[in-house]
Order: sequence, then C-alpha cells, then structure tokens
Amino acid sequence: MLELRKDIFADERDDNLKEIGKGTQRQDMLGHITGTSSYFGDHKLQGMLHLKVVRSTQAHARLRRIDTTEAERSAGVRRIIRGADVPRNLNTLLSLINFGKDDEPSLAVDKVRYKGEPILAIVADSEREAFEAIAKVKIDYEPLPTVFDVEDALKPGAPVVNETYPKNAFIYHDVYDHQRLRFGDADAALATADHVLEQRYQMSPIEHAPTETNGAIAAPDTNGRYVVYTSTQALFFSVDTCAKILDVPSNTFHFIGGTVGGGFGGKVDTLTEPLAILGAMLTGRPVRYVFGREEEMQYGPPRGAERIYIKDGVMRDGRIVARKIRAYFDSGAYTRLSSYAAVKCAAHLPGPYTIPNVYGDVYCVFTNRTPATAMRGFGVTAMDFAIECQMDKLANLVGMDPMEFRILNAYRDGDMKAHRREAKNTALIECVQVAAEKAKWPIRDEFRRASSRTDGGGSRAAIPPTPTDSRARPTAPAQQRTSYDRLPPTVTREPPREPPPPSPPPPSPRPVTPSHGATRFSSVFGTRRR
Amino acid sequence: MAVTVKTFANASEAAGALSSDRSARYLGGGTLVMRALNEGDVSISTIVRAQDQALSRIDASGPRVTLGAGVTFARILAERDLSFLHAPARSIGGPAVRNMGTVGGNLFAPNPYGDFTVALLALDATVAVQGGFGARDIPIEEFLQARDRQAGTLVLSVSCTRPASADAFRYRKIARIKPKGGSVITLAAHLPISGGRIVGARIALGSMAPTQIRARAAERALEGRSLDTATIAAAASAAAEGTSPSDNALGSAWYRREIVGVHLRRLLSGQE
Repeated sequence: MLELRKDIFADERDDNLKEIGKGTQRQDMLGHITGTSSYFGDHKLQGMLHLKVVRSTQAHARLRRIDTTEAERSAGVRRIIRGADVPRNLNTLLSLINFGKDDEPSLAVDKVRYKGEPILAIVADSEREAFEAIAKVKIDYEPLPTVFDVEDALKPGAPVVNETYPKNAFIYHDVYDHQRLRFGDADAALATADHVLEQRYQMSPIEHAPTETNGAIAAPDTNGRYVVYTSTQALFFSVDTCAKILDVPSNTFHFIGGTVGGGFGGKVDTLTEPLAILGAMLTGRPVRYVFGREEEMQYGPPRGAERIYIKDGVMRDGRIVARKIRAYFDSGAYTRLSSYAAVKCAAHLPGPYTIPNVYGDVYCVFTNRTPATAMRGFGVTAMDFAIECQMDKLANLVGMDPMEFRILNAYRDGDMKAHRREAKNTALIECVQVAAEKAKWPIRDEFRRASSRTDGGGSRAAIPPTPTDSRARPTAPAQQRTSYDRLPPTVTREPPREPPPPSPPPPSPRPVTPSHGATRFSSVFGTRRR
Repeated sequence: MAVTVKTFANASEAAGALSSDRSARYLGGGTLVMRALNEGDVSISTIVRAQDQALSRIDASGPRVTLGAGVTFARILAERDLSFLHAPARSIGGPAVRNMGTVGGNLFAPNPYGDFTVALLALDATVAVQGGFGARDIPIEEFLQARDRQAGTLVLSVSCTRPASADAFRYRKIARIKPKGGSVITLAAHLPISGGRIVGARIALGSMAPTQIRARAAERALEGRSLDTATIAAAASAAAEGTSPSDNALGSAWYRREIVGVHLRRLLSGQE
C-alpha cells in the first residue's frame, strides 16, 4: 500500500503536490486498452515498398567486393542502396550538440566493424522479394583481427576497431582518452587504511526487448517534402539526424511519431528513418523499413557492457577513507551515446557517500561488438550495482550491519562531493531508515536517530589537497575473485585518521566571468565560449 | 516469388504436396514456420496445411496412447488421462505458444526447443508418418536420427505406452528464464520397475546433441538394479557419456556437460 511520509522534510517543499497517491488516467491508456492506438506500422500506403538491409556476417573485415548483379535482377527489386548513395555517410548522434566526431556510416563502405553492420539496403515490392534479393548478394570479406574485450582493446597493438578513434577509446575535448576524477589522495589513504578491498564487477549488454521493433515508413509528400511515420522515442532528435545524414534542411521532413511500442532508450538511435527516407527519395514511392525480431535482438543497440574495478580503504570503525575506481564502458564499434554514459558515470562517483579520497578513471571503449546505446539510467546502473555490492562486502569485512554501514558513510547536507559540489537535499539516511523500518530490519538507536541534515558540512565540506596526476596510466591488475568473507583481519591498527585540514578550493580551471564572451567549462562540451 | 499456401482436406493429399516440393513446409501451429517466414527464410515458398480431423485426435483411453500430430500442448494439459505428459507439455513456451504449438511440430523443433520430444524419446514412442511411398511407423529414435531427411514426410501421429506408475516416468527441464525460457538441458527418464529392479530403463536428453538423444551409458548403469544411491550416482556420473552439446546463448557445451549429471541425479532421486 502506498504511504506518503510527509513528515520527512516537510519544511523543504510546498505541500501542494496533488498527483502522487491517487489514480490518474494516463493520456494514452484508453487507446492502448481498446486497441485503437495507432503505431507507425499501422500505416499501409498505396504503392508502399519494403526495405531490408544486407548485414555483415563478420565482426571485423575489409569489404573486398560487393556483387549485386544477381540481386539487381531478382524479381521485385526496385533499388539497391549502397554507402555511396547516402549523402553524408558518416555521422555520430551527439554531433547535433557538437559532442564527438562522426564515426558511423549508415551503410558500411570500406570495412565492417561488428557482426550485423548494414552494408546494403534493398528496396523491393515486398519483404519477401527483398529477402530473396539479399540471398543473392555476394560479399567478399577479408577478415581482420577482432577485439571483444574492453581491456584488451586498450592494450598497445590491439586491432583498431574504428579509425576515427585509433586507440579504441573515445577522446574527450580532443585530448583525454577517459574521464578522470581526483579528490584527495586515494593512494595515501589506502596505504593507511585498516582494510583494503579490491573487487571486479562486470555487467553484460542488456536488450531493451520492445514489443514493437524499430521501424519507420517514409513517403514523398507535396513540395518535395517527406512524411515519416516512425517508432522513434526522440522525434526531433531523429528529424535533425536524418536532415544531417541526407544533407537537406530539417523542414524537408514531417515526422509523425507519438505512440512508441516500448522504447526504454532503444529507439533513439535513428537507425531506420534515414534509409527509409532515402529509399523514398530514390524510388519516389513510400518505403517501409522495420526490424525483424532477430534484428532487434541481435543488432538493435543494447545497454552497453561494463567492467568495473573498485578498490576501497575502510577503517575498523566502518568509515570508508578511500575509493578508487576504474570503469570501462563497452561502446561496441561506434560511439552512439556511450561517450555520454562515461561522463554520467564519472559524475556519479563515488556513489551517495562521503569519502574523503576518491579516484576515478572511466573509459568509453570501442570493440567489435554491437554498438551500445541509451537504456534507463545508463552510465549509472552498473556502477551502482558494483558500488552497492562493494558496500555489502565492506560492511561484512568490518563486521557492521550493512544498513548501519550505509548510514555511517552516507553523504549529508553540506558535505563536499568528489566533483566539488556541495551536497544538498541528500536524504539517503532517511531512505535507509525507512527501508529498514519497513523490512523490520533492526538498526541501533544511534543510527535510527541519524539525520542527513545534521553533522554534515564542517570538515566534511573541505576539498582535500589533491596531488597532481603525473603518473603513467595504471595498468590493469590481475582479476581478483570475491574473497571478502575469508579475508583475515588486518593486523596493523592505525590511529583514526584525522580529517584533512580544510583548504581553500583550488582555483577554477578558467576564470569564470558571467559576462558575454566568457568561457565556461562543461563536462560534455569542455571549454566553450558563450 | 510469393509464398503459396495450399490447404488440403486430408492428410495423405497434404503429404503428397509436401513430398513433391522441396520448398514446401507443413504448417501445424506455426510457432516455427511462421517465425522462419517472418525472419526472411527464403527456403520456404509453399505452406501446406491439412484440415484432417484425424490429425487432432487424442486416444488416451487404453494402455497405448495415441496423439495426432496436430494436437496442441494446451489440449494435452486439458486431458486428465494424459497427466503423465503434463509436465513436459507445461514446460513449453507460454500459454500462447502452448495454444498453437503441436506434438508433430515439436518433433522438428531445433535446440533449444523440442522438450516434448525428449519425453517421447524416453517413452519409446512410435512416429506414424506419411511419405511419398505411403504410411509407416518409425521408432522415434530412428526418426530423430534421420530428422534432417524427414522434411518431405508428414507426421500423422505419435503413440506410446502409458507408464505403469506415476513414479516410473520423470521429466525435468532446466531453463534460465521461468516459465518461458528455452532449454539449457532437458531430461526425461522412463524407469519400469519389475521385482524391485529397473528393467528397460530409458533416459533421454535435450540440448545435449544436435537432436534429442538417449543417455545409453546412464541407462546401462541403471539396468537390472534397484534405484538406490549407488546406482543413481553411477548413472549420474555416466550421464554426459556419448553426448555432443554445443554452445549457445543459454549455456556453453562445457556447462551442459558439467550439469547434466547433477540434474540426472536430482531427477532419479526425486529431488526438486
């Protein structure tokens, strides 16, 4: 049963919220339950053609020769579209906000970088005839060495997946091959911690598995415009992406979306619209391009895989004194949105805890796997899984209750976060207290009395002295298996570490003047003139 | 070339159409054939259907049970006299797939599907087929060994002898996703007991080879013995012998070999 705890933080908001706690009709509910909602696929247009793509059977290969002579003669084939037919056959999604370099063709030209990469698009009278023509296409591949592991991909001499990023890592601000967070001196703190625990966490790609697969129907309209029915969950983003790829003004298109048959992040990549529109441009007929189920599962973009190393230093009294993290996002063969996921991840470290020494390196890595994309909370989800597993292991290691351990280390209002912002409206302590109460999980009085609004700030608001990072990139440690429950108690006992003396915040990277013509720093854009 | 659908009033006409056309497939419930067509399988250009009542007949009154090839899993589950087949029928797909999927189609379902066939193999079923040269009965093992060459024949029915007791037939499907997942491995055991000893043991495995197979070494370990701990341990340790599993998204060949003995031991010792 839903219960609103309005007693908590009652003074922090106007109590005029009136939606939560009562039934509210979703605006699209009636259409869904009566089966009258209209999806892109419900549009059957006169003379509509069908587009299917020829996909790479290789994970990494040079395209020696593409022979379409037999396919062109196949019954019902109207047009075979090659990479050379795409006006701007190189794009990256976030180029719309000037982030990242164009790295992905709509149709592969010189080589393929993942299994399932589109090489040709075949437009035919029926899906069946398109499939029959696909079976007649002959492609001569020259297989290239592959790399499927994020750490292997970063090693010297690894196969170059995407020539736009020759070191197999996304480059931030034209300089940095990873996102870096430094706060205090994590190595020094680890050296003096009572216990040190290093663990490796890994998460596989996850498919969004929408009921409706990705797809679009494009049809020529009057005045040289095109009407596009689409499943996109990011309609204006898709409009601009198509305008860029097809090199026309965005008002060339009239996009009609609205009902998305399940998105969850898997329908922002604008994979079907550009080819459907191009098919309509080249044939003058409506063209429908929709993923089959296997295409959606195998080649539709998933949530990316991640590998995470966490090394924590904890004192016997339960305080975490250092957290050192290395994380690798598997972007697959192209960037899509993983570059942004790594930024989000770095901004999230070290989780909702106040830890005086934090060290983070987050990489966005290219491999010969299916390109990854957005999915609910991407950039944060796997890291939170890793951090919370680690919290349980640390609590076990110091012999503390996991709930109390979290309350002890939780950030509080006024604390300094590792990325040098003051923590506000933190509320983690209250969440843990309510969760413990609801689960009838006993916690001691002192923890039940704790509040995120007291005992924060002060020395916890200080930015610790942070050594300049001059060492070479750390090398990957050997894999370590979970052994937290078998670790012997550490013998050395250091006196409780004094909190570092407060120091004035370091000078900002650039002088900040809030006037026109000033530069400002953003984690996505870097230094930018306003 | 468009796909042609041919519908016949009786099974022998359908069988004739099937055997004369290499690109023809018989459409039972459509859970395999329609999926293949939707995914662009251009090797199918003719769909053959039959509206023969005989194909959907169930004869479960006597000791010998006969199921028409078109009998769905939902109908098996609704038949009280077929309770020994309820566990394998229930392990297939979700309600929608069980409403459409048929006994005959399951004989052709590739890994990780075909769980009902594992049960039929343990029960030493007989498959009645109609080919270009007339109807005949084939032992299921022989049918499965030549399954790739059976495309031109139409399965009419499957029959088997009812197990003597509920305990004599056991079934277990290991899936990662419950209740609808594909099989990691599937096991079925028929253990007729005579005078306290097992006589004519049959153990069948799914996803342990390209088709459903018998675990003959495990059967030998059981034959003529009582079902005690030592016998079960011997059968379990021999379970992977003669198998040739492969890797797929649900499990690796190594993993399948490792766990098949564990699950056989649990099946034989009646553990959940």
